[in-house]
Amino acid sequence: MVEELVHLHNVSVGYDEPLIEGINIEILAGDVIAVLGPSGIGKTTLLRTIAGLVRPLAGKVELAVPPRGGLGYIPQRLGLVGNLTVRGNVEMGTRVGLSRWYPPFLPVPSIQRGFVDQAMVDLGIDHLAEQPVRILSGGQQRRVATAKTVAQRPKLVLADEFLGELDDDNVDIVMRTVNQAIQAENSAMIMVEHHEELAREVANRIWRITDGRLVEELKR
Amino acid sequence: MNKRFFIFCGLLAMLTIYFFLDLVGDLGRLSGGWANLVVFFNESLWPPEWSVLEAQSYPVCEARFEFTCSVAWLGMVETIKIAFVATIIGFIFALPLSILAASNLSPISIALPARILLAGMRSLPSIIWAVLFMIVFDVGTLAGICAMSFYTVGYLGKLQFESLEGLKNAPLESAKAMGMTRFETAWLVAIPESANHLLSHLLFMFEYNVRHGTVIGLVGAGGIGLYINTYLKLAQYDKVVALLIVVFLVVVVIDFISMILRSAVNEESDVERPSWSSIFLPGAISSALHPTPMKRNVEHESE
Repeated sequence: MVEELVHLHNVSVGYDEPLIEGINIEILAGDVIAVLGPSGIGKTTLLRTIAGLVRPLAGKVELAVPPRGGLGYIPQRLGLVGNLTVRGNVEMGTRVGLSRWYPPFLPVPSIQRGFVDQAMVDLGIDHLAEQPVRILSGGQQRRVATAKTVAQRPKLVLADEFLGELDDDNVDIVMRTVNQAIQAENSAMIMVEHHEELAREVANRIWRITDGRLVEELKR
Repeated sequence: MNKRFFIFCGLLAMLTIYFFLDLVGDLGRLSGGWANLVVFFNESLWPPEWSVLEAQSYPVCEARFEFTCSVAWLGMVETIKIAFVATIIGFIFALPLSILAASNLSPISIALPARILLAGMRSLPSIIWAVLFMIVFDVGTLAGICAMSFYTVGYLGKLQFESLEGLKNAPLESAKAMGMTRFETAWLVAIPESANHLLSHLLFMFEYNVRHGTVIGLVGAGGIGLYINTYLKLAQYDKVVALLIVVFLVVVVIDFISMILRSAVNEESDVERPSWSSIFLPGAISSALHPTPMKRNVEHESE
């Protein structure tokens, strides 16, 4: 039986006013879901609601992932620490796999260091390991953010337009690495994407938001 | 610039004039004030008595440079030492308190008491702290260090929690969604992300404490202020002026050094900051220490 990771029960998302209402949907292990829709319609708010950063206006979000390290979130602005090195940022992902009492000022154990090295190699940023993130290009920073999430090995990845600023080759590298990680961990991914063709290419489920409703499209 | 802005400025000016006249009362009292100052300046203040730069008669100076046995040197060095120790001690306590006080890092139930504590430490000027600590430790530098440290915690803590609250939301949200603890978020995200500002505030605080060292010395808490206080009591105003000139010059030098250091760590927008070694060391040594110069977009991609 396929593992259910998230279940949204009649959820309404938004801030003061609902942007999307009546969402009843489940996310299963292995799903790569692309969320489509025009700007300002509530795609990011939906991701933030699933991530637990915004309370749903109505309904219930059930997450069957561990509260620590079970969810990887790549916000639109990537959420990297500019003054830390690439390695420092990617390592941050692995720290949530350790006990919450593991002191953050100690280096990560060798197993986690292995995850970090592998993620950097897979995403082609190992030669930048000791560079501070703030001096990297937008595309390189996106690969760092992806490496951080891949090294984290979460059960659910939420990514907000993380393929933007990447050329075709790098989109391939990033998606291949992410797909491998999803298969290895039997996890799932929800990504907000503006480029419909790209979304259809990389996702196996498509959610479209129109008129305040979330509709699942059959993949052509 | 609209009409409302001018009305607002006009009201502000009227209010200021009203308060001023209300406080001063009779402006006639000011007549003759300037002439008094000129007389006092000519008779008591000028020229400065530069003997404060000469070695004291007792104890006998055995240093290579006699200047280092002078009142000005001894007092100023002690003031700088007090300021340095107090700034570091203050920073050690201010940083955790500022993390607790930052509303984006701590719940309001913790942030509010932390802010009240910082406000309390800040609301008493360091001269009052100095008086309080002199009651505990007697007159001397220990009281000065404690007083300055307490005030530093309050003042630096406020600067720091405001910096922390100005952090970008994305790294904090990412950390929260991942399930990082508050301590991990503070240590791994908040402090590195605002490190430039924290360091800049630290340098500013040191400069501030050196300036303030003269004030707390006035109540006997050590440093050059102690000598200034002694000369004031003896009505040797020309020596006071000489010491104040020394303080002024030292503050200018510290301000200048601090400005250079702060410009090295203040990074606005995309402006690349130089490395510390490139400021203090000759080019060749600096490049040897940093073989790969930092450049933006280290690998230019066709995106």
